[in-house]
Amino acid sequence: MPPTLRPTDLVARVNRDVERSLLRARNGIRYVRGTSRPNVGATPKEVVWKRGKAELWRYEGGSRRYGPPVVIVHSLVSRSYILDLRPGNSLVEHWVNAGLDVFMLDWGVPDELDADNDLERYVDWYIPRALAAVRRETGEEEVTLAGYCLGGVMAALYAAGRDDAAVRNLVLMATPIDFQEMGAMVAALREGRMNPGDLIDETGNVPADVLYSGFYMQAPTVEIAQKPTLLENLWNDQFVEGFQAMAQWSRDHVPFPGAAFRELVEDLIRKNVLMTGSMRVGGRRIDLADARGDVLIAVAERDNVVPLAATTPATKLVGDPARREELRLPGGHVTFGTGRSALKVTMPKMAEWIIRHSDERPEPEER
Amino acid sequence: MSKGPLWLRAVHRVERTIGKPVESAVRSDRYFDTVSKVTRVRRKAIGAVEGVSRRGLHLLNLPAGTDVRRMREQLGRMERRLNQLSEDVRDMEDERRRAPVE
Repeated sequence: MPPTLRPTDLVARVNRDVERSLLRARNGIRYVRGTSRPNVGATPKEVVWKRGKAELWRYEGGSRRYGPPVVIVHSLVSRSYILDLRPGNSLVEHWVNAGLDVFMLDWGVPDELDADNDLERYVDWYIPRALAAVRRETGEEEVTLAGYCLGGVMAALYAAGRDDAAVRNLVLMATPIDFQEMGAMVAALREGRMNPGDLIDETGNVPADVLYSGFYMQAPTVEIAQKPTLLENLWNDQFVEGFQAMAQWSRDHVPFPGAAFRELVEDLIRKNVLMTGSMRVGGRRIDLADARGDVLIAVAERDNVVPLAATTPATKLVGDPARREELRLPGGHVTFGTGRSALKVTMPKMAEWIIRHSDERPEPEER
Repeated sequence: MSKGPLWLRAVHRVERTIGKPVESAVRSDRYFDTVSKVTRVRRKAIGAVEGVSRRGLHLLNLPAGTDVRRMREQLGRMERRLNQLSEDVRDMEDERRRAPVE
């Protein structure tokens, strides 16, 4: 029997639609005028160290119940606020609320002065100095080092390549290892149809808009199709804010330092060296298997940027086989920062793993 | 995307119908070959135009854009070297501060 619509239901539905139409109109005007900026990267923090464009942030709020501190090494391609996208939908906020002492190593916006920065500069210069600052701040010798995307490559090289690396745990999030599996633009670079020199501009870096175009061209029509979805959900403040925050982040790339980009293309993409299990950085060979500590390799099942086939080899190559674990997560490349599955699965599961591999501090530090 | 009202599902279906061939086109060898060719041709064209304007400006004893760019590059190199030196000094100071006082 078909369901019958009672007059009271009909009135309620009309009321709801009218209310939503009004909200749509209000949010639509705000959206078009650009007056409502998303509140990104909002978890309170202080800058505890700075060198060049790089900054180390320590997050505040709650009590620091577990040690060692967690230091996130961000990628060189995108802005770090993807991991602290907005209140209530932030990996950083979740970890802080879970009682972890969270730091973020943010690379800032490179310019001409950073054009000579190669991987050695990041792995052997910036990361050790930032971690020394963490030690000074917290008094703890060890850290949990968590790298996102290319930041994961740098974190793994640091943890594997230095005798003085005091890494208790290594967490790799969407970290590319097999560059053979990395999509069309990378394939064009690998096969020599495109060369680093074609992409590097007069500042010596790959401009941010080239990186944006590279990502945009992976699915050029999807952005257009998202607009009707926004229109349908325009009444929902939360949805609009989340949409704006993601749209802002996906357009907000930073220039890629030229020297590191050349190295990325020559060694990681063309020679696919990480798949051999080792890489030469600063004149020495680093074996990924030497990565210290317990290793968590977190991979996203629907990652279009760093596909599963590119991330999973880490489970065979990085760290001691007896001390590494794989965590498969539903969602895409940004599941580490935002989205329903991030809130339900990614953030709690990763926090739980880190806490399991940390110590409870005898006296929690209030922030 | 199967959620949402009928019109939205229809839009998404249309997007996929158009999007799939577009995506395979922009992931093809031909697309990247074209992009590289266009980039090279564009650079050559800009180089040719710059060459003409540079000669004109130099005749009038004026600096051209390429001169300014070269100057910026030299300044950038010098600034990088200076930064490196000041970082070395900071490192030495940090080490001295951390060293135990006898």
